[in-house]
Amino acid sequence: MLEARFESPLAGREVPADTYVSMREISERGMIDLRGSAADRKFMATAKSALGVDLPKQPRTTATWGDVRVFWLSPDQWLITCPRAKAQEMADQLSQDLAGVHSLAVNVSDMRAVIRLEGEGVREVVMKGTAIDLTHGDYPPGTVRRMRFAEVAALLHIVEDNVIDIYVFRSFAQYTWDFLRKAARKGTEVRIFPKAG
Amino acid sequence: MTGKPYRLASGGSRIDRSKPLSFSFDGRSLSGFAGDTIASAVQASGQRVFGRSYKYHRPRGVIGLGSEEMNALIGVGVGARHEPNLRATQIELFNGMTAVTQNRWPSLNFDIGALNNKLSRFFPGGFYYKTFMWPRSFWKHVYEPVIRYAAGLGKAPEDRDPDTYEHMHIHADVVVVGGGIAGLTAAEAAAAGGVRVLLIDENPVLGGIADLTAGKIGEVSVADYAKAAADRLAALPNVQILSRTTAVGHFHHNYMMAFERVGDHDPSILANGAPRHRLWKIRAGHIVLASGALERPIAFANNDRPGITLASAVRGMVERYGVAPGSNGVVFTNNDDAYLTALALKKAGVNVQIVDSRARPQGDLVQKAIAEGIEISASSVISKVEGTLNVKSVKIAAYRKGQGRVITEKKVDCDFIAMSGGWNPALHLWCHNGGKIRFDDGLASFRPNTHTDAITAVGAANGTMSVAETLAEAVAAGEGAAKAVNAKAKAAKIKLPAIEEPVRGALEAIWFAPATGGYNEGNKHFIDFQNDVTAADLELAQREGYESVEHTKRYTTFGMATDQGKTSNLNGLGVLSEATGRSIPEIGVTTFRPPYTPYSFGAIAGSLTKELFLPIRRTPVFQWHKDKGAVFEPVGQWRRAYTYPAAGEDKHASITREILAVRNKVGLLDASTLGKIEIKGPDAAEFLDRMYTNMFSTLKVGKCRYGLMMNELGFLSDDGVTVRLADDHFLMHTTSGGADRISAWLEEWLQTEWTQYKVFVTPVTEQWAQFAIAGPRAREVLAKLGPDFDVSNEAFPHMSFKIGRMGGYPVRVFRISFSGEQSYEVATPANLGRGLWDAILAAGEEFGIEAYGTEALHVLRAEKGYIVVGDETDGTTTPIDVGLEGLVSKKKADFIGKRSLEQSYLKGPNRKQLVGLLTEDPNEVLPDGAYAVREVKDKPPMAMIGQVTSTYMSPTLGRSIAMALIENGRARMGETISFPLEGGKVVKAKLVSPVFYDQDGGRINA
Repeated sequence: MLEARFESPLAGREVPADTYVSMREISERGMIDLRGSAADRKFMATAKSALGVDLPKQPRTTATWGDVRVFWLSPDQWLITCPRAKAQEMADQLSQDLAGVHSLAVNVSDMRAVIRLEGEGVREVVMKGTAIDLTHGDYPPGTVRRMRFAEVAALLHIVEDNVIDIYVFRSFAQYTWDFLRKAARKGTEVRIFPKAG
Repeated sequence: MTGKPYRLASGGSRIDRSKPLSFSFDGRSLSGFAGDTIASAVQASGQRVFGRSYKYHRPRGVIGLGSEEMNALIGVGVGARHEPNLRATQIELFNGMTAVTQNRWPSLNFDIGALNNKLSRFFPGGFYYKTFMWPRSFWKHVYEPVIRYAAGLGKAPEDRDPDTYEHMHIHADVVVVGGGIAGLTAAEAAAAGGVRVLLIDENPVLGGIADLTAGKIGEVSVADYAKAAADRLAALPNVQILSRTTAVGHFHHNYMMAFERVGDHDPSILANGAPRHRLWKIRAGHIVLASGALERPIAFANNDRPGITLASAVRGMVERYGVAPGSNGVVFTNNDDAYLTALALKKAGVNVQIVDSRARPQGDLVQKAIAEGIEISASSVISKVEGTLNVKSVKIAAYRKGQGRVITEKKVDCDFIAMSGGWNPALHLWCHNGGKIRFDDGLASFRPNTHTDAITAVGAANGTMSVAETLAEAVAAGEGAAKAVNAKAKAAKIKLPAIEEPVRGALEAIWFAPATGGYNEGNKHFIDFQNDVTAADLELAQREGYESVEHTKRYTTFGMATDQGKTSNLNGLGVLSEATGRSIPEIGVTTFRPPYTPYSFGAIAGSLTKELFLPIRRTPVFQWHKDKGAVFEPVGQWRRAYTYPAAGEDKHASITREILAVRNKVGLLDASTLGKIEIKGPDAAEFLDRMYTNMFSTLKVGKCRYGLMMNELGFLSDDGVTVRLADDHFLMHTTSGGADRISAWLEEWLQTEWTQYKVFVTPVTEQWAQFAIAGPRAREVLAKLGPDFDVSNEAFPHMSFKIGRMGGYPVRVFRISFSGEQSYEVATPANLGRGLWDAILAAGEEFGIEAYGTEALHVLRAEKGYIVVGDETDGTTTPIDVGLEGLVSKKKADFIGKRSLEQSYLKGPNRKQLVGLLTEDPNEVLPDGAYAVREVKDKPPMAMIGQVTSTYMSPTLGRSIAMALIENGRARMGETISFPLEGGKVVKAKLVSPVFYDQDGGRINA
């Protein structure tokens, strides 16, 4: 019988030593794209009972329950992250629970690459590629939003003050990795405004 | 000209005499001090000539003090690191710097191009337009190359730039442009309000020209006030200061760009990994423009000789760098400010006298000059300068405003001239995004008027020349800006100390200093130094009818050089005003466009070079293709394997091999780039019926259907196979290039037109790696992979699919074909893609499996007569044109494009229709896009009846095949038509069915 061989988008890339924030790939994350209407009470209630947490309704926010974290993506779309091993089961469960409720849950664990940036200066490194003002108080930990990053579509998740996950479509993983390696290279520190309220 | 050293024994606030530096200038080894610019160090060595002018090749020296410099453009660095056209006044010296002058041949002091000067009466304004018109062909091959060689600026380096660059975004509540006393004070006032302030200054040291400004603020000098303010700002957490950074453009919504020279002044910074330049993309809440003012030259005869410098620049040379411009000078002015220069020279022990065009100069500085015993000639102008590589003497003549010609002159020996025609507020940034300006008679210049953006001009940039008024204005602007962005901002409560400054007499505009004799009799009054435009050129343009200032600019090139008219603009307007009798405001100004000063292409590109030049999309199997030696082709941003040449094989051979493998054995294609969209909801089937031309509501669960999509105009926009996963759940495949476009198109219809539909659309293209296993032995390969479903032809016929597992791999297998062979497209989650790919190759080995690329794919589909949207269609092609009328539903009530197909010209005769072509000579492959004509003639025009859309050598058929869109093609089957090619050759081809191979479809269903 065929043994499945897993290869993450950035498998084999060495963690660079010459950057002023650390960067690595997160490959063990599962992701589910969930569509439904926030105005549909049955949908919201069913999603909550399946996930253990209310789907966030506020733009750019996240909600967490144990190892499940839900990103608000739009008024009718959420990205659920969980351990990769649980993703298919959870997607199937959601679909089953939501049978008869207008919705769409898809396991998209392989659709995106996730790069974690960590350390003093992560916000400015990201700002080398996006016009979003991450030094602003509007971007506390827990913030999620989509953005244009360098020249590709990306999703930004501020995990902690100095920890940021960047999600890009799998095909752009190498491009994004290369861009970040350059943007975070030691010697290119900018030291913009300390985070101001 | 080289001569005695001009470094003064003491003085120089910017230089550190304990740190000598050595550098090379045109191959000579020179020395300077830390803090010097190239301009100051070279002048200290006694050299004045920095280059030759653009058109006349006249020797030129330094004129300015900073970014306004238009003459002393030099090249710095060697090899790939050489950068031409840098302003010597801005280049900070470092040890070991290599700099060269430009536009000289063979040498600075003897330049063959200077013949142009002797012949200059034959080079009037508009000379190029007038002269190089005939013969026409000479322009491209003779005139232009010669002119480009002789004229022009520095030479670009030939090698790739080894340095790195980057972009940076920043948002600030208040952006202050300019770090002089106005900017520093405004920044402090704004920062006191608690908002975030970004201060941008283009110089290495903050303070602007505070050090060259007379007066006292409280107990300290203006320079000390600036220094203290800069130190206080640097300590504030809500203030960001960018030095060596030029704000180059102001755009809509207070978006601003600034160019930071990070490492130009110190190679060790680059060695530590810093980018050489950084381009700042700034979003400002409110902008305070404190960009200062630029001193004007005066148009007098031969005012471009090396040694003639702006008065403020002379003052800067003496006070900042301890460099004397000479030993015996003349200050030529129409205002009080230049008296400061005379006083500074006197203090430094340099002999100086003043020529003032005003009848009765008065004011504190005039009195001080008189008290110091400086000789002043009032009501006088310099009417001539003697000397070519250097100033030897001047003629001073009596002057009355409006006087045309000089009667009497006295000769005065001197070796330098400091000139000042007044000051122009630096309006460029104010005007980039539509700020209005007004003329101020007192300044004899324009100053800011109104602006629709949140921007305030203060200090000299606002035309406010007094220190006291500048500081008051700056405090108000800083506080106002903070309030404007945050109503709760605290008031700064800055108390300005008492300010002492000299009372100044009024300036009197002088646009032209008369000379003996007429224009162009050896007397050139330069207006635009960099482009060699003289007062006479501007007047000639008026006489020739170029009355609009924008026409004058283009005809004479006045104001068009790299300095963008910083020093020339107003003087030119003054000359035009006097020539036409119209006032300067009536003449108007030319448009101010970004950038304020030139900035590097490196900064513009940022880090998006080399591997980042274009985002490249890679499939999960990309590395295998690469390792296999694939030739890649771009498909949108994807890089797909085009073919895999083996050792010793050319592309033609490898494509042929791949095609034959599919036809005779089995092939494997990476089709991961295909668009994939999940569509679900109670209305999904009806929605698809409206999106596609053909019916999808009748599709059974477990089955696949090929669909065509049109836009509203009835033209084909995409195609692909859609499968039904469940009653309310579909998976749509789009073309690779159409993936993003089509999912956006579906969303648009759902969100804007058919909001009643309950349908969700989720693009999942990248979730899946997808591979086509195609060929007569495909099923055997599939079976060998151990699927947990029946792969027999009966259980798994063409146009059906299975969801299951192959060993550890979860798969969706679609029995669909783009090759005409028995074919399965296997999808597995992308992170398992490479594993499955390898497994398929291993399983297929015994059946002779070969990977095939996109070119084989295209030949295979063409042999089978399958269209490619974008090849067989061009945005004006309907489904009927390409022979797919059968896929246009007659039953459905409506679908996108249905109504358009009813339009007469889409239904009418003579539409171009898809046909197959067989050339008379089977070895002749028609060029792609070749035109068919109704009748071949000796030469064009010939009536065209269609064009080739796809054309290949078919290894399967052993001959060439092509597809074409030909007028009435289907009715003309069997006819032979002609394709005249370039060079007179005519290829004849017979119209046949576009399905060249396996017309009954037996292979696909096998």
